[in-house]
Amino acid sequence: MSQLREPAFDRAVALVLRVGAFGCFFIMLAGLLVGLFVHNRIPGEIERAGVLLMLATPVVRVLVAGVLFLREKDWKYGAISFGVLAILLLSAVFGIGEH
Amino acid sequence: MLSALLVLLGFFAGLLGALTGIGGGILLSPILALHFGIPIREAIGTSLVAVITTSAASSSVHLQRHTTDIRLGMTLELATALGAAVTAYLVGYFNRNVLEGLLAGFLLYSSVTILLRGGKVKDAEEPAVNGDGETVIPPYEPQRYPLGLGASLIAGGLSGLLGIGGGPIKVPVMYIFMNVPLMVATATSNFMIGVTAAASAMVYYRRGDILVEIAAPLAVGVFLGSLLGARLAPRIRTKYVVYLLVAIMLYLAGHLFLHLLTGRAA
Repeated sequence: MSQLREPAFDRAVALVLRVGAFGCFFIMLAGLLVGLFVHNRIPGEIERAGVLLMLATPVVRVLVAGVLFLREKDWKYGAISFGVLAILLLSAVFGIGEH
Repeated sequence: MLSALLVLLGFFAGLLGALTGIGGGILLSPILALHFGIPIREAIGTSLVAVITTSAASSSVHLQRHTTDIRLGMTLELATALGAAVTAYLVGYFNRNVLEGLLAGFLLYSSVTILLRGGKVKDAEEPAVNGDGETVIPPYEPQRYPLGLGASLIAGGLSGLLGIGGGPIKVPVMYIFMNVPLMVATATSNFMIGVTAAASAMVYYRRGDILVEIAAPLAVGVFLGSLLGARLAPRIRTKYVVYLLVAIMLYLAGHLFLHLLTGRAA
């Protein structure tokens, strides 16, 4: 049976996602509202911060899950998590296209 | 006003996505390209941000219901993230017409798979609930990992190429071939989408293909829409919502094909 029932584990991962999604929402909203009154680079920079937070959220989620697996001495899934993390970090570093 | 329109679009896509369990992200890149005049690559990159937002908002709800198989999701993410990162990197070498054709094809494929299931995207029977009000999932053991990983590589590749989540590929494969209950397959696919989209979105971002001023109102709308949809989903007969989604997907596929045939820029 696959281990679905780990309430604490699920809750920790859910928390990361919720903080990321809510944080992104409020930052983006702030950017939009500021943009109604201010016409310079500031609203755009606020919105950029929201985009970056959204891009970072899944990375943090993988890191947190990986650490939790290692703490449970679940080496196999700990290794898998850090494998996923490695792919994400590589795509962040080498994603410098031809723009 | 453009921002208000984009908030509405995001809200609508997020609501439909959460109600049907089929990510609304599939609507965003074609609508941005066709109706907002955004070049297809920027439309894809921008849509990816909204796709991550939907995934984060809705899977935090699924996780609280304990219907997500984190181990299975993490394993398949090895393949989806790899596929997404590689195609996001290669997308610059794809001709715009190829991207639009693929997007139209994927919209058609998704519509057909939904119609073949008779519009059913959730388990036929109500999930059993135990004394604590928690959903009970029958025991299962995921099978045929190589097949699942292969399908995930393709789903991830398409995600990085088209700015979509890839649920219409992963959910049937997990459900039919890997022996995973439909409810778990849907929640787990949703869970994986955030990481998959992030792997390619970072590449798009570095290339300057994410339009921040478009992504912000879209994300605000998508966030509100998916939260509302996730709350309404258990209480609403989703069949007609699914048909509405299919109708929009078919319209967008037709519109894309028309653009390809007439050779006009989308």
